[in-house]
Amino acid sequence: MLPLNIFDNILHQLTYIKDEPMIFSSGVFWVLFLIFLPIYAALKNRKRQMMVFVIGFSLFFYYKSSGLFVLMLLGTSVMDWVMSRLMVKTEVRWKRRLCLWASLLTSLGILAYFKYANFFMWNFRQMVGGNFEPMDIILPVGISFYTFQSVSYIIDVYKGRVAPTKTWGDYAFFLTFFPALVAGPIVRADYFIPQLEKNQHATRDMVYMGFWLILLGIVKKAIVADYLAQYNDLVFMVDPETGVPGYSGFETLMGLVGYTMQIYCDFSGYSDMAIGLALIMGFKLAQNFNFPYKARNLTDFWRRWHISLSTWLRDYIYIPLGGNRKGKRRTYVNNFTTMVIGGLWHGAAWKYVIWGALHGGGLMVHKACKPYLGQVADTWPVKAFSWAITFLFVMFTFMVFRADTFADAITLTGHIITDFDIAYAIPFASVRWLWLIILGVIVGSHILPTNFWGKAAAWFVRSPWIVKLLLFVVVIQLVLELQGEDVAPFIYFQF
Amino acid sequence: MFKQYKGLWILLATALALFVAVSFMDEAPTLFGHQMKQAKFAEVLTAEPEPEPAAVDTAKQAAEAARKAAEPDTMPKTILLIGDSMLDGLSPRMSAYAQFNGHKLYSVIWYSSTTEVWGTRDKLRHYIGTLKPDYIFISLGGNELFVKDIKEKRAKYVDNILKDIGNIPFIWIGPPNWKPDTGINDLVCSKVGNGRFFLSKDLTFERKKDGAHPTNASAAVWLDSVMRWMPGHAEHPIKMNVPPADMKARPERIFIHQPSEI
Repeated sequence: MLPLNIFDNILHQLTYIKDEPMIFSSGVFWVLFLIFLPIYAALKNRKRQMMVFVIGFSLFFYYKSSGLFVLMLLGTSVMDWVMSRLMVKTEVRWKRRLCLWASLLTSLGILAYFKYANFFMWNFRQMVGGNFEPMDIILPVGISFYTFQSVSYIIDVYKGRVAPTKTWGDYAFFLTFFPALVAGPIVRADYFIPQLEKNQHATRDMVYMGFWLILLGIVKKAIVADYLAQYNDLVFMVDPETGVPGYSGFETLMGLVGYTMQIYCDFSGYSDMAIGLALIMGFKLAQNFNFPYKARNLTDFWRRWHISLSTWLRDYIYIPLGGNRKGKRRTYVNNFTTMVIGGLWHGAAWKYVIWGALHGGGLMVHKACKPYLGQVADTWPVKAFSWAITFLFVMFTFMVFRADTFADAITLTGHIITDFDIAYAIPFASVRWLWLIILGVIVGSHILPTNFWGKAAAWFVRSPWIVKLLLFVVVIQLVLELQGEDVAPFIYFQF
Repeated sequence: MFKQYKGLWILLATALALFVAVSFMDEAPTLFGHQMKQAKFAEVLTAEPEPEPAAVDTAKQAAEAARKAAEPDTMPKTILLIGDSMLDGLSPRMSAYAQFNGHKLYSVIWYSSTTEVWGTRDKLRHYIGTLKPDYIFISLGGNELFVKDIKEKRAKYVDNILKDIGNIPFIWIGPPNWKPDTGINDLVCSKVGNGRFFLSKDLTFERKKDGAHPTNASAAVWLDSVMRWMPGHAEHPIKMNVPPADMKARPERIFIHQPSEI
């Protein structure tokens, strides 16, 4: 017989639990999605009711992850919508600008306070001297993602690229759309709102293609990334007192390779799940990752990595700064500035700024060398060399991203060079064979031709129902088998 | 309109029913001799929302143990420190204690391990056999704070661990709770006795980003608390004078086991 407290426990699972955000691969979300789906389908033809239901579900989803910060999300949506409506009602330039800045200052002000207040105050104190007691600020989950959506919407309305939504509901649906709410992809209004207006029904193929993406996302995030993390998380620790890394140079290098794969699988896996969920609901979200580790130069890497962020940075920072229209030198400066801001978007710490600056510098070098590189024959050795140099650059800059501090990153990188001994390879492989196999699988997935994955998806969509069920059960059981009982944080939630 | 979703919905519901049903089974099914892991549906649904206050009475524990407290053994020891990922924080400070007091320390970290893991494998026997420790510290239980029916499920594994330890004196350092537990502290304390169990749950910790593990500095303070407790309360106290806070030391050897070895 079931214990009586079962209902209390269900209720508890439906309330906000600090540090336990609801993620797509969790059991709670699985159950809720089973309830959500038939109601959504039943309301799909009654657009207003469907929208109210989805907004309500999205707000609940956010409440479950961030508690009462859901009110702030609501407030942002109201502010943006009211300002966008006021903006189109007037032709007077200063009034339109006033509306734009009111909305921008609200969104960016909230982001600045919650994410950057302590960082800027600490730096200010460092400059002027004095003690610094950080404020006890909790970072609302996904604030960087929805703030960027809010900013792009209000700028697009101001520039006349997007017509403001007629109702607050339309805008709230866009801003709070739960698949992309807490960890992207960063959805753009001009791409999404027309889909809402059409209110297209998902076809059977879309539903199963969405399910395929969810499965792929679970494999990447909950199997590969979380398993690789169990080792990687150990390697980046540097004893704060002695300043000595705990692992040999070889093991540290393996941890860095592992982290390079982990962060890709973690974030692209979550993106796949988000895109898949949206597709099941009949909405198409743009691709967010396109085999980034296949890139053969840094410019290409940023066209493949976190595409929704890089295109956002291009359209709302790089181009407004002047893009490539103001001469070579200015192009480099714009590129560099954009990447530094991109780095800061990832977190309020100097290590992210430095990571962004390194990529900005890398992009500048690539742009400067481009005319000469174009004269080199595109042979296999050249391709291999350019791929290797790009991958190594990306990997070693992830050291800055992952290490606790920039100083730790320097220590660990130095340790890889000074303490490297290949003799560790055999004992390492004998103890961590499963870790190596999983790493190999994700490396292999990059080696396979891109159309293989298209064919695999098409096969899955056409496959019998029972095959899909078996695959799903196997994937979930693998998640259970490989997960550590220790906490496995979601890397991109913190952004 | 539900037509296109019917297949997916039934698939998700079937799979969910399967995993929920398996999670309620007392023993997980085995496949080719491997016991499969269960989802935590049953654990979450049937968990005690507000566990009763722990039966371990700190004051009583202290008083009883103080009565029994023996004179510290000042001979140099070979110490074996075993446990889960909490050792990442405890091991450096323990090394300092060992070096400062003339002991030799071996650390065995098994990430994500539990009493079940140590109680069903021969690792502990192996290390005792090869390293010949004459004192053992155990830090286990952090991965079992929320196991339902823990007394029924894990008592036998704690017994197995104690059987492996035999007559070697030891201290079990209780887990640093970040939430109320479902009985791991009570279980271990009842099995090992007050003079061999250090209750950590009421201490205040500064945690790492994961919210579970104490920071290295906090773990050092944690171990200092254990060592302060030992002379007056442990059944078999050993010489553990406090080393300088900035003393750097490493164990004689660290053995690491991954969750994949579970």
